[in-house]
Amino acid sequence: MSDQQMTIHLKVWRQKGPNSKGELVDYTMDDVNPHMSFLEMFDWLNEKLMKQGEEPIEFDHDCREGICGSCNMMINGQAHGPQKATAACQLHMRQFSDGDTIYVEPWRAKAFPIIKDLVVDRSAFDRIVEAGGYVSVNTGGAVDANAQLIPKKEADIAFDYATCIGCGACVAACPNSSASLFTGAKIAQFAHLPQGEPERKERARAMVDQMKEEGFGDCSNFAECEAVCPKEISITAIAEMRREYVKSLFD
Amino acid sequence: MSKFKAALQSQVGRKLITGITGLGLVLFIIVHLLGNLSYFGGPEAINTYSHTLHELGGLLWAARLGLLVFFLFHIYLGISIWLEKRRARPVGYESYNSRGVPSRQSWSARSMIITGVILLVFVVFHLNTFAFHDFQTTVINGVEMHDVHARLTEVFQHEVYTISYVLTMVLLGMHLRHGVWSSFQSLGWMSRNSNPVVYSIAYILGLIIAVGFIGLPVSIYFGLV
Ligand code: SF4
Ligand code: FES
Repeated sequence: MSDQQMTIHLKVWRQKGPNSKGELVDYTMDDVNPHMSFLEMFDWLNEKLMKQGEEPIEFDHDCREGICGSCNMMINGQAHGPQKATAACQLHMRQFSDGDTIYVEPWRAKAFPIIKDLVVDRSAFDRIVEAGGYVSVNTGGAVDANAQLIPKKEADIAFDYATCIGCGACVAACPNSSASLFTGAKIAQFAHLPQGEPERKERARAMVDQMKEEGFGDCSNFAECEAVCPKEISITAIAEMRREYVKSLFD
Repeated sequence: MSKFKAALQSQVGRKLITGITGLGLVLFIIVHLLGNLSYFGGPEAINTYSHTLHELGGLLWAARLGLLVFFLFHIYLGISIWLEKRRARPVGYESYNSRGVPSRQSWSARSMIITGVILLVFVVFHLNTFAFHDFQTTVINGVEMHDVHARLTEVFQHEVYTISYVLTMVLLGMHLRHGVWSSFQSLGWMSRNSNPVVYSIAYILGLIIAVGFIGLPVSIYFGLV
């Protein structure tokens, strides 16, 4: 891997506040190290902007290791950028070439209003979870781990769905801005576990209804969500959500 | 009951109905195609087929009514889903690219609203050309019946009609390429393993149906039959 510095042209969406008019602003960096992560490149750019007395670019980030789901940005028209199964924070500049022009835009959806620059408000997801994405039990003393046996296969499926980090890439990449993959994953993770059983029906209905309430679009089965999901959550989550919903109608 | 009403308006219900009505329409299309193919059996075959169909009377009307209801629901939901999509993202991207497989964002997937609307317009013209046409009659085995064979032969002599018919059938194939697969996913019938299989079947089915429908007008136009 070459250590040669690269020149990168950026077109970054800048927007002062929720109601301001935004625009793409050009930045050129001629000293990008290929080992930098995409966010480190932004840190580097922001440092320079601040030295020049300009306002730094606002972007969300926290863990920088692909587990918190806050680093949302559309990179060259793809949610989290071009690398499969990778959140923007785990993307490295070596994925790009010297002289590349890179578009960086915020998630676009009515349900994810822009706060500033690349930062959007994803609390719509929180409200979908609040509608039913939990198990209400009073936990007493810790139960023996092996008291309730769950087949390995079921546990694995539930775990796969549970890896969703709520980043919103599925919505951002969806031509319809549908939240079906996220909601599907949150419903399906419980559908495979005994703990999810008691509230199964109310959960499916409430979460599906909330998704519409928040203003996300309908799903047209484009499956673009699965392609961009950093956790590679399959659209079988959506099929499961639909099954759960239909089952919930019959007592 | 209100539970079911709410369900029909939910995002899951809307897709379910789109899928069920879509699959119903595909069944109709397949039967229609088989009927068309009877043209190749000569005037007697297709005219008798059409006559037998019309002899069904009440049953035929029930089927027509069902078809109309399916069609209307499918159109209503298709347009509504498209409108919702526009509402859900008022400001679009400057740059947007599909990530590719496993994405199913094909050409046919993205153009469902366009192919759908063109098919709707086509159906109106098509009904006018055939179903509502005042047919000549012919006598086969002593029975007087509509001469569907003559009408088809006449219509597909016309360049404009033949070409627009062929093009529309290509669009129909595209609509089914995404539609059939999508219906199965909407009905929750898809697992991780069946997904690629159903996706390929939808492709083949779309292709067969398009080629099947195109065969007749092309054969008539070029005098192959
Ligand atoms: S399903 Fe995937 S893309 Fe969607 S929020 Fe969860 S982790 Fe992100
Ligand atoms: S910063 Fe936490 S997932 Fe990227």
